[in-house]
Amino acid sequence: MSDPPAIDVRGVTRVFDSRKGFLFREHTRTEALRGIDLRVESGSIFGLLGPNGAGKTTLVKILATLLLPTTGQALVLGHDVVEEQPWLRPRIGLVLGGERGLYNRINAKDNLRYFADLYGIPPAEREERIREVLERVDLENAADRRVEEYSRGMKQKLHIARGILHRPQILFLDEPTIGLDPKSARETRKLVRSLVSDGVTIFLTTHYMFEAEELCPELAIISKGRVVARDTVAGLRQLVGGDRTIEVEAYGFEDREIVSLRSLPGVSKIVTEEFGPRTRLTMRVRTGETLPGDVTDVLPGHPELAVRERRTALEDVYLDLVEEEAP
Amino acid sequence: MATSTGHVSGARATGSSLRLSFLMFMADPQWLIPSMIAPVIFGLVSFELFRSAGPYFLTYAILGAGMMSMWGQTLYGSGWAIGQDREFGTLEPTIGAPAPYLYVVLGRVLWNVISGLIGGGIVYLVVVAAAGAPPAVPDPLGFVVLFVFVMLTLASVGIVFTAIWVYTRYAGFVQNIGEFAFYVGTGCMFPVVLLPFWTNPIALFFPPTWAVDALRYLAIPGYVGFGWGFWVDLAGAVATTLVYVGVAGTIFRRVERHVLEDGSLSWY
Repeated sequence: MSDPPAIDVRGVTRVFDSRKGFLFREHTRTEALRGIDLRVESGSIFGLLGPNGAGKTTLVKILATLLLPTTGQALVLGHDVVEEQPWLRPRIGLVLGGERGLYNRINAKDNLRYFADLYGIPPAEREERIREVLERVDLENAADRRVEEYSRGMKQKLHIARGILHRPQILFLDEPTIGLDPKSARETRKLVRSLVSDGVTIFLTTHYMFEAEELCPELAIISKGRVVARDTVAGLRQLVGGDRTIEVEAYGFEDREIVSLRSLPGVSKIVTEEFGPRTRLTMRVRTGETLPGDVTDVLPGHPELAVRERRTALEDVYLDLVEEEAP
Repeated sequence: MATSTGHVSGARATGSSLRLSFLMFMADPQWLIPSMIAPVIFGLVSFELFRSAGPYFLTYAILGAGMMSMWGQTLYGSGWAIGQDREFGTLEPTIGAPAPYLYVVLGRVLWNVISGLIGGGIVYLVVVAAAGAPPAVPDPLGFVVLFVFVMLTLASVGIVFTAIWVYTRYAGFVQNIGEFAFYVGTGCMFPVVLLPFWTNPIALFFPPTWAVDALRYLAIPGYVGFGWGFWVDLAGAVATTLVYVGVAGTIFRRVERHVLEDGSLSWY
């Protein structure tokens, strides 16, 4: 029998009801997740991309057993996140990151000792394991310093050290490089890659496109509580109509010219943007079907016509898909 | 292969939480005021209040000030410890760990019991120093044992209070309103029988009421209190403490479920 997928989410919704006010209660209902279906296989890094408020953290917290879904079912390592929390918790790690979530007045070792005990790491192994993870995240020389003296990047490393302390089978990383300087962010990404080689499945949320493209062989894009696409980066490029992008700029275009461009072979989509007196047409094009020269031929008589071709970036894919979702 | 066994004994979770509380206490000088300085002030004030109250005034003084000091540490401090977890953002990772959260709370409460006992010890030393002689206690060993038990009755109420802190970030509001009413109502400073009669039945719902009354029976010859004697007080204290511990266990299971439904673990 084959192993169950690392994550199997079926129709998960999550509604937050909140009330404020003392005498006159005001009720607010927020649909954070609106029917998520997602399956992630073991042994790689899976990326969840989405804008702020898309539902990324909500989904991560549900999968990490810290939040209950309103409806639907979520299985992690084949076990239900609601009914089988005691089985799951020792096997999953969660890194929420940020300035909070650590005992700042005590040192890194004591932070890790506390959580090692709560995770049931055998007492005989505890100190050695703490030494290992601190070395892994390059904090061994700061292990005895109070966490309040740490930089943002060092705190993030300590968050990761705590997340991997008990050798989880699956690690949830919620925006692990947000707010980090470029050097710390690069070190964090290197660390994340090294964890996969240890056999840990990583579920990573981010809104940094280059990070997702660099780390994640597969990813999903979430917008307004729904998964709007799920594929490899190459597959997502095809999904938005082409792995090449041609940008054309001039002082305005006539409608018939745009229609002509649309009829060129392999052109799937044209987005028009105005900036000042200039207009930019961004065209998604399948490789080898339409070349910049073909575009120039369709647009004769434009002074200062600029035509550029580039590979469709994940950011283009993301913006196309997220904008399609916008009301 | 995961290093975590998944099984965490209650003793280990409690011990680790106790150790963390101690480290946090030592790292934060603000706790020196309630734990070390306040007992000195309470002891001196109590000594002045009770010095003309008869031959056993010293015991009254020690009990009154000692309970006042310990009340704050044990009960208030326990709830506040969880409030701090909310503030630090550590409540989420702690609840997300395999260790049953009730044992983590127990560790926090036990540290507060210990620091409360230290406060009680300071009160004792201050009152004895002010009086120039130790108090006359007929059964010193029984007194000490019962004194520790009184702390445990406070701890049982403390655990229930901490559940409120886990439940809502507004627990401080409830606790601040209840603090002095509870303190006076359970007879920590002076016997409950001196309060209006209607308060007496309410006071009996709280374990410290029974335990403190039993302590006075033991320490002060001729003490009348509720009038039903030492053993009934002791039985009442044990029974109500057990009820509170049982209630705390049930409440914690429900509160834990509630916060996962509510999504309020990270709020502070």
